[in-house]
Amino acid sequence: MKKAYYITQMGVLERRGNTLFFENENLKRAIPINSTSEIHCFKPVSLTSGAIKILSEKNVPVHFYNKYGYYRGSYIPVEGQISGTVVIKQAEHHLDPEKRLYIARQFLEGIRASMVALLKSYEADYSHIREVQVEGESPAELMGTESGLWKEFYGIFASLLKHFEFNERTRRPPKDEINALISLGNSVLYTVALSEIRKTYLHPAISFLHEPLERRYSLALDLADIFKPITVFRVILRLVNKKRIRKEHFDRDVGVMLNDEGLRVFISELNSELTRKVLHPRFRRNVSVRYLMRLEGYSLVRHILGDSTYRPLRAWW
Amino acid sequence: MYIIVVYDVDVKRVAKVHRFLRTHLHWRQNSVFEGEVSRAQLYEIKRTLEGLIGDGDSVLIYELPTGNFTLHVIGTDKNPAGEII
Repeated sequence: MKKAYYITQMGVLERRGNTLFFENENLKRAIPINSTSEIHCFKPVSLTSGAIKILSEKNVPVHFYNKYGYYRGSYIPVEGQISGTVVIKQAEHHLDPEKRLYIARQFLEGIRASMVALLKSYEADYSHIREVQVEGESPAELMGTESGLWKEFYGIFASLLKHFEFNERTRRPPKDEINALISLGNSVLYTVALSEIRKTYLHPAISFLHEPLERRYSLALDLADIFKPITVFRVILRLVNKKRIRKEHFDRDVGVMLNDEGLRVFISELNSELTRKVLHPRFRRNVSVRYLMRLEGYSLVRHILGDSTYRPLRAWW
Repeated sequence: MYIIVVYDVDVKRVAKVHRFLRTHLHWRQNSVFEGEVSRAQLYEIKRTLEGLIGDGDSVLIYELPTGNFTLHVIGTDKNPAGEII
């Protein structure tokens, strides 16, 4: 299982001795390129041309975030998995209103199932989430339902937090600590979804629930949403309630952001949640949560090719 | 699977073996590497090492189920492994 690397300090990535090296004044670390799935940079990191060359050869993307934890962009090697058939079929499912609506609705069901799974594990009351009708005649209406679902969820989520206030979701920049954590977690999840989609034949820009916008891989947004409650929100609840993330882990200017120490705590917990193995009932083996994201992609591929009908993930752990 | 590679090779080839292992595994301390690899990677590591080493050299690879072990460090940990840099 290849690993994702997270860089939380400034420095340079360069090629040396046929592998990747991260270097700054205090530290010199080799990154085993053959065992790397992707690299996330949360601080300014420079890449030398040698580094770009070896990243391309080994097909390892590098993702960049800004100081508030928002996704800024990626260096993505030339596409490895290309299938015209899948892309054409995918576009067909996007263009046909009925087909698109089916998939969009399934995504919503997936989001709701994950919310319920999380609330259940915290013994919270999820009956309101259950009651929200997943209906709508257009993707725009479904997006409306989705935001209603999230609103409902945020309310219950806020009541589960033992420390910190969380009243409303604010973005760009986040206005309080919990919003900062949500923003950062969502960005990481989005790029992980992108990395996993790239391993399937799906085109990451053709989405079903979200509108495909320019410069945004919106299919990754679709997919990431299903996993948000059971990864990002689970990690936030755990870290906050166990006081592993505290007031002193944040800095404040226009918005609120994690400092170096806080960033490391949060990222390492999120990473271990993503690489956590759960027993897959059908495969009868342990698979990581991250791999489940790719499985969603595969089952979407089978759906658009007409092999089987897409049913979203129902988190069972 | 998780593997630990320990090698004892002629000084002429130490750098070569080190440089190669670094592309797959974490360097822990002199002549010791460890890390999670796939079966294909393990095969490649074995095959490449066979080509690199010479007479009287020896490389040991310990295969562990899932990194399921406890590490006791005495003295300084020269290069703690981890994905958060």
